[in-house]
Amino acid sequence: MTLFSKASSTHSFSNLSTISTKTIIQMNDVWASYDAKNYVLKEITLSINSGTNYAIVGQSGSGKTTLLKLINGMMTPSKGQIRVDYQIPNTKNDKFKKSLSKIGYIPQNLGLVKNISVIDNILIGALPRISKVKSFFKIFPQNEINEAEKILHLVGLEGKRDRKTYMLSGGEKRRVAIARALMQKPVLLLADEIVSELDHVTAREIMDLIADAQKKFNLTAVMVHHDIQLGLKYANRVAVIKEGQKILELGVEGDKIVDFQSGNTSQQEILELYNTNES
Amino acid sequence: MNPKNNLIIGIVIAAVVAMSYNIDANPVEFVEGIPNLAIVAKEMTEVELDLFGTAFWSMLETIEMAFIGTVVGVAIALPLSMLAARNLNRKLVYVPIRALLAATRTFPSILWAILFVIMVGLGPFAGILAIIMYTIGFITKLQYESIEAIDSDPVEAVSSIGVSKWQLIRHVVVPESAPHLLSQILYMFDYNVRQTSILGLVGAGGIGFYIINYIKFFEYGKAAVFMLVVLITVLLIDWASVKIRDKYIVKAQEGMQVKI
Ligand SMILES: Nc1ncnc2c1ncn2[C@@H]1O[C@H](COP(=O)(O)OP(=O)(O)O)[C@@H](O)[C@H]1O
Ligand SMILES: [Mg+2]
Repeated sequence: MTLFSKASSTHSFSNLSTISTKTIIQMNDVWASYDAKNYVLKEITLSINSGTNYAIVGQSGSGKTTLLKLINGMMTPSKGQIRVDYQIPNTKNDKFKKSLSKIGYIPQNLGLVKNISVIDNILIGALPRISKVKSFFKIFPQNEINEAEKILHLVGLEGKRDRKTYMLSGGEKRRVAIARALMQKPVLLLADEIVSELDHVTAREIMDLIADAQKKFNLTAVMVHHDIQLGLKYANRVAVIKEGQKILELGVEGDKIVDFQSGNTSQQEILELYNTNES
Repeated sequence: MNPKNNLIIGIVIAAVVAMSYNIDANPVEFVEGIPNLAIVAKEMTEVELDLFGTAFWSMLETIEMAFIGTVVGVAIALPLSMLAARNLNRKLVYVPIRALLAATRTFPSILWAILFVIMVGLGPFAGILAIIMYTIGFITKLQYESIEAIDSDPVEAVSSIGVSKWQLIRHVVVPESAPHLLSQILYMFDYNVRQTSILGLVGAGGIGFYIINYIKFFEYGKAAVFMLVVLITVLLIDWASVKIRDKYIVKAQEGMQVKI
C-alpha cells in the first residue's frame, strides 16, 4: 500500500502517532533540460520525508520551478531517477493520475479560473473524485460542497464565496489557490513562490495559513521561495539551489544552522557559501 | 506623405477607373438616375397602412427564423469549436474540421438558401437551414479563436491535478472563453435577422418575399411598409444588444484583462 492511498483513508482521523518517516520524494542524480543542450538542473540528489516542511530557495533562474515540475511530473528528467510515493512522476502517464490528484500544486501564477466564483474554483480540486457525467453538468455531491464550504472557512474567505476570482486581491487569490489544493485532500503540497509578490503582513498570514493546514491535514510541503529567510523561518529543511545545483541543504538545530549536505556546522562557512549564492 | 504612398494611391485610383470602364459603370448614369429616385420616393410616401398587419406578422416570422437558426447553429457550433481548437486536439482532429468549416464559410447565406429551397422546397424551413449553416461556420471560427486565446495558466494548473480532458474543458476552457461567447451570439442574432430579411428573395421565407414581390410589380408604396418594419426592427435589436452587451460583457471582459 502506498503512502497516498493510506493517507487518504486516514485523512479524517489524523493521528500523530501514525506519522511515519517514510521517504515521500526521492531524487538521485537528477539532470533536467528544456532544449537537450543546456542543463538547468544538475546532479540533484535529495530525499524528503513524509511530514516535512521542505523549502527550496535560490535566485531567479536557478531552477526552482523546474524542480517542482519534476516532482509532479509536468516535466521528466533527462537523466537520473525520481520517485514520488514510489512512483515515477509523469502527468501523461495514467497510472500516475491517481497520485497526481493527491498532489496540490500551486504554480507561481496560481492558475485560477478568473471568470468563475471562489467556491467553483475550490470545487475544481474535487474533480478527480467526481464522475465524468456529473462533473459535466456541474453537479457536485453534497458532501463535497460541504467540504468546500469548510475549506472556504479555513482560508478565511467565507465572505467572498460567490465573488468572481478576478475581483480578489493578491492575498485573497492565494487563499483560493490554497483552498483548491486542500480540496484535493492532498498528501503533498507544492507551492511556487506563493508569497514573493506580497507585502510582509500578507505574506505572513499566508505562510501561517499554510502551516496551520499542514498540521491539520498532516501534509508534506515543498515550497519554493526567493528569499532564504522565509525558508529558514518556516521550513525544517532548506535546499539552496544555485545555477541548477544544490549547494547547501540547511536545517535548524536549536539556534544553530546545520548544512546537512556537507555536515558542516560552522556558521561562518555556511554563511560564506550562502553569500556566494546571493552575490 | 511620402512619394511611395503617392504612387500606391495613384495606382489604386487608376485601377478603380480602369475596372469601372471595364464593367461599364458610368457615374453619369448615376446622376441622370437621381430623378427616378424621386419617383420611387414619392410613391413610397403613399404607404398603404392596412398592410402593417401583414408586415408585422412576416417580420415576426423572420425573427423566429433567425432565432431558431441562431440557437440551433450555436448549439452545433460549440462542440465543433472544441474539436477545432488547436490547443485541445491533435492535428488529425482539428485539420479536417477546420477545412470543412472554411468551405462552409465560402457560401453566403443566400446561396445556402437556394440550395435548401431545392432540397426541402420553398418556405421558411429552407431559410432556417441556411441560417444554421451560416451560423455554424462563423460561430465555430470565432469560438475556436477565443478558445485558442485563453490564458494557459489555469489550463496548466488544473490539468496537473489529474482531471480528465472533458472536465478540463467544462470547468476551465468553457468559463474562460464564455464572456466572448455571449457577445458573439448577440452579434450573430443581430446579423441573422438582417440576413433572414432578404432570404425571401429566393423563396426561403420571411419578410423579403413580400418586399421583392411588391418591387417586381412596381408597388413601391406597399414595399415601403415592409422595409420600414425591417428598419425599425433592426434598430430595436441593435439597441437591445448594445444594452445587453454593456450590462454583462463589459464587466466580464474586465476580468479577462486583469492579470494575477
Ligand atoms: N519553458 C522553458 N523553455 C526553455 N527554458 C526554460 C523554460 N522554463 C525555464 N527555462 C530556463 O530554465 C532555467 C531555470 O528556470 P526556472 O526553473 O523557472 O527557475 P526559477 O524558478 O528558479 O526562477 C532558466 O534559465 C530559464 O530560463
Ligand atoms: Mg520560478
